Amino acid sequence: MSAVTATISKGKMDAATGKPAQRDEGARLGFRLTLPAQILVLFISAFPLLMQLYISVTDWSPLSGVGWWNAWEMWNGFANYTDLAADTRFWSALKRTAVVMLVCVPAEFLLGLALATLFADDFPGKRIFYSILLMPMMVVPAVAGYMFFMLFQSGGPVNDILSRIIGAPVTIAWLSDPNLALIAVMIADIWQWTPLMFLVLLAGRVGVPEDQMKAATLLGANAWQRFTTIVLPKMKTIIVIALAIRVIENFKIFDTLYIMTGGGPGVATETISVYIYKVTTQDLIWGYVAAIALAILIVLSIVAVYAMKRMAKTREMTA
Amino acid sequence: MKRSVPFEIFRYAAILAAIAVTLVPILWMVSMAFKPIGEWSATGTDLTWWPKHPTLANFQFVFGESTNDLIVALDHTALKPILSSLLSAVFGTAIAMSAGTAAAYGLSRFGSGQNLPLALIQLRLFPPMAVMIPVMIMWSFLNFTDSWWGLALVYGIVTLPFAFWLMKTFFDDMPREIEEAALVEGCSRLRVFTRITLPMMRAPLASAALFVFILNWSDYLIALLLTTREWVTIPVYMASLSSSMTGQLYGAKAALGLIAAVPPVIMGIAIQRHLVRGLTFGALKQ
Repeated sequence: MSAVTATISKGKMDAATGKPAQRDEGARLGFRLTLPAQILVLFISAFPLLMQLYISVTDWSPLSGVGWWNAWEMWNGFANYTDLAADTRFWSALKRTAVVMLVCVPAEFLLGLALATLFADDFPGKRIFYSILLMPMMVVPAVAGYMFFMLFQSGGPVNDILSRIIGAPVTIAWLSDPNLALIAVMIADIWQWTPLMFLVLLAGRVGVPEDQMKAATLLGANAWQRFTTIVLPKMKTIIVIALAIRVIENFKIFDTLYIMTGGGPGVATETISVYIYKVTTQDLIWGYVAAIALAILIVLSIVAVYAMKRMAKTREMTA
Repeated sequence: MKRSVPFEIFRYAAILAAIAVTLVPILWMVSMAFKPIGEWSATGTDLTWWPKHPTLANFQFVFGESTNDLIVALDHTALKPILSSLLSAVFGTAIAMSAGTAAAYGLSRFGSGQNLPLALIQLRLFPPMAVMIPVMIMWSFLNFTDSWWGLALVYGIVTLPFAFWLMKTFFDDMPREIEEAALVEGCSRLRVFTRITLPMMRAPLASAALFVFILNWSDYLIALLLTTREWVTIPVYMASLSSSMTGQLYGAKAALGLIAAVPPVIMGIAIQRHLVRGLTFGALKQ
């Protein structure tokens, strides 16, 4: 919030330095410049949200033979929402999404933090290592999904490496075993997104003042003490941002996972996005999908307000 | 700070291990893309980490040339999907960048559109899957389904938050003196923006555009929902390439994957120093 107020006052100061005529010109131009973005936001939020709200209280489906505006003919009250509360497949998909998040985000964070710590000072080869380590996050997620699909084939390289280590042929069917499939998709997510944690955390680690670290060393603090008493507290807000970004994005997990397993075997890797996708394209009960989507949007909006407050606080600190 | 020798050894060992884990999946796909069909799914002791008989047949196959080994006929080649990915990503980027840059300047200089920062971050928070039902209905009403322009419009809106926030932080950082001098000289504010500010911001504009392009190019889910046949993008085409008739076309898909993966990786390395700013909505600068 405070970032927004800061911009307001900045805008006012800027306008105040100009002559009245110039100020009007500025306000008019500002309005016109922001108009296209405003229209796009309205186009994708206000109208679709109302449409979604409307459809969510009906049984409408694209196959029902009436236009969506006539969906009221199929009004079913709040049946979709009560169905949702009793939909075990939805709740298990939500639980699975939470499990994936609770494994992947901390793993990505710890690995990223460890790498950022190793990269904190200069050493020969730093730049080239840095560039290579960032590559996974730039690979198209669907393509990354396909890479891991190949790696985890029962005759594929992962089993080949394991065979060499053990000395006996390993033929684990990673993607067709319900438990292993979930582990495989989590490994793919960790591979792809640890670089993002590393990138953001390193940017924060570089901002830790070197003189404080030196002073602590002179006072006899060891590396671990310096890390816990200086580095971590200084990086606190950056850590919050990095975690927030990954939590948000991980919740949406779809591309890699869907290419690797299609949500299967059975529903073993079906996360919330995959579940909604399947109901949308296979079961085609769009009234119900609209209800699920709205429920998720409401929960996420509450999270959003909290996250924005934290981000605004950080921007204030780094400004 | 001076570090001990054991620490240096540990550091290099750990980093090299991380690099190995990073590169193995990528190199496996690169290797697969050049493998002849006989080596695609060779297992056990026959498994080849590097093609024994490297070939370009996989690339020729996806572009529709018949090769000796692959007798499967494609119902269409990779050319149209590549064109579709390019058109939708380029025009999506153009939409996001023009609306985002203009709005960022309006907010940064004149305080217009105070609601945009929060509204755009909220837009980014929501899973695309949760807003796609109305979009699919609207798009089929507007006859935008299965077209690159329909896809470009969604991409433009989805990546608008990144374009806006990146350009806003760039404009906020830019010194105002030159703009003010031009105003005193009698330039109109619009002229200052188009003739002075924008040319000065060429480099940041290019970085932001590349960043947004990478995001658009990387999409899979939206294209999966909004395109069906004529204008499918590379990832959708790639996923649909295998069927029960043909089995897994490993090499052909790896060749396509390589074509899709190379541009964003190169662009990403080129704009490395702006990545943090882009990914954290300007909360952090490198």
